[in-house]
Amino acid sequence: MRFLLEAPADGDLDETTAVARAAHSNGLDGVLIRQSRWSPDPLVTVAALAARVAEIRIAAELELGEQHPFEVAENVSVTDLTTGGRLILVARPAGSLQDYAEALDLLRTALTPRPFRFEGSRWQVPANLPENEFGQERLVRLTPAPAQPVLPVWGAGAGRGPALERGLGHLADEDDPPDALGTAHERAATVLGPAAIGAPRARRERLADGTEALVARLLAGREEFGQDWAVVAGGVDEAAVIGRQVRPRVQLEHLHPSLIALWEPAAR
Amino acid sequence: MSVQRDARILNRIGLGLWTVRSMAQWPRHPVGGFSELVDDALLAQELGFHSIWSAEHRIWYDGWCPAPLLALAHVAGATDRLRLGTAVLLASQHDPISLARTAATLDRVSGGRLDLGIGLGHRDAEFDTLGLRRDRRGRMMDRALELMPRVWAGEYGDAPPVQPGGPAIWMGGMAPRVLERAVAGNYSLLLPQTLSAGRIGAVIEDVRARGWSATAGAMRDLWIEDDPGRAAEMRRRLEQGFTEEAGWWVLQGRRAFDAPELLDRQLHRVSDAALIGSADEVAEGLRALLHAGVEFLCLRINIDIADHSELREQMRRVAAELPPRLADAPVATGAPG
Repeated sequence: MRFLLEAPADGDLDETTAVARAAHSNGLDGVLIRQSRWSPDPLVTVAALAARVAEIRIAAELELGEQHPFEVAENVSVTDLTTGGRLILVARPAGSLQDYAEALDLLRTALTPRPFRFEGSRWQVPANLPENEFGQERLVRLTPAPAQPVLPVWGAGAGRGPALERGLGHLADEDDPPDALGTAHERAATVLGPAAIGAPRARRERLADGTEALVARLLAGREEFGQDWAVVAGGVDEAAVIGRQVRPRVQLEHLHPSLIALWEPAAR
Repeated sequence: MSVQRDARILNRIGLGLWTVRSMAQWPRHPVGGFSELVDDALLAQELGFHSIWSAEHRIWYDGWCPAPLLALAHVAGATDRLRLGTAVLLASQHDPISLARTAATLDRVSGGRLDLGIGLGHRDAEFDTLGLRRDRRGRMMDRALELMPRVWAGEYGDAPPVQPGGPAIWMGGMAPRVLERAVAGNYSLLLPQTLSAGRIGAVIEDVRARGWSATAGAMRDLWIEDDPGRAAEMRRRLEQGFTEEAGWWVLQGRRAFDAPELLDRQLHRVSDAALIGSADEVAEGLRALLHAGVEFLCLRINIDIADHSELREQMRRVAAELPPRLADAPVATGAPG
């Protein structure tokens, strides 16, 4: 089980840095930065954070399907380079699911190091508009390519379905029905077969009900639908609780109760 | 010469242009380029420069950074005083609301250090890739200038930027329409590096007469080199770098590579205006600009003619050798922008 700490959306860069450092020092896999009125472009925060915190993954959750996907892909690629290849992109539909799915395909095509041509119903790249007399290229290439050979893209919210159909990761929201990961994933596995192997199955979780409740939920999620990532909202304090009391207990299928009992004094 | 005067001129000098390319003559690792950018920014900050500047192009073989605001966001995380500029960002190639939000987030993350220099862009292929008509680029620019301040004012639900009213806007270029926009919005100017001091003086006089009261900035290619033979070699490198970049431009309806006489004329304009020589010679060129009314200099020392260690040495030379030589030049007070 891997863990992303979702940093408070209204924090300034110093506060977000403190959260990211706490994630790192407590052995978590990374942080997630989401879109908010304070940080309307989470990629900016990711690129800034990348100069301050090493090694951890930095995930950005943004809307896809309105802004031109090639423009989004350029921002994503440059951001991934600033992180040295640590970016995870979590995409949520901005408008219709159809536009979202097309944007997802164009974005992922653009993130390869190949010259390409994309003919969608909303976006055509290159457009070959007759007015652009000297722009009649057959194929174009996004430069520079991202640092990661295959940049992780996850679908979130209503965008999970199209992501699953493409063998991508998905992030279920906390208030999604309990089988949100399971049924959708099983459907995708039926369609994709072995192509579905390895796609991250993540869910937003909460610590508010206590560590026991979170551990139980994670074990159930893993058992029922193979959940292997948890995104937990929190700050510096939550990072320590997850790192010391939650994460060790969900790494293997089961632990001897005496081992957990041995940790109890330290956990308190 | 007084130390105070020295410090004052450095606060009027920005360094450019970091484009994070990996060119045939100067290859480098794509991730390493962004680490070098941060190292260079830290040096610029330590030396006391006002700012560093990036620029924007897309779909080019050398990976010219198409998202300068994200490159500068990376710098923002590592620095705390240095201002961060674009010279220029191609505002007519972006969705204006998304651009305003990216700029506002950078403004917030950097604590209000963004200088947003914007221009039109000129390569048809860049517009075509994004599904835009190049012949409508002026309209796109006007739309961006209309919508960005509205986003920053909270009309779309966003929190206010750190700089009052939003990131400082600078207009790149010198075409009549550019000057009209600068006067209309009272935006600061970034005049091209090819303009002579005389032309720059005339432009500044013209816009001042029209009520414009923002900062008069100018770009200049520059390299301090005392040895004449070595200076000639740096000029040759500058010309090669420019030819490589401009060969793909369209000049009077033809690719510049296919119109050698036009490319050559363009090349001479750039090379003739570049200040390459001893510190005394370079300072004399800058003094002429300051006397012409220029209040801010974006010195293009990062013009693809040097490797990384040469560039850093040049940054130190500019910081050490130019301020004493410009101590008697007219320098405006207060912060530029």
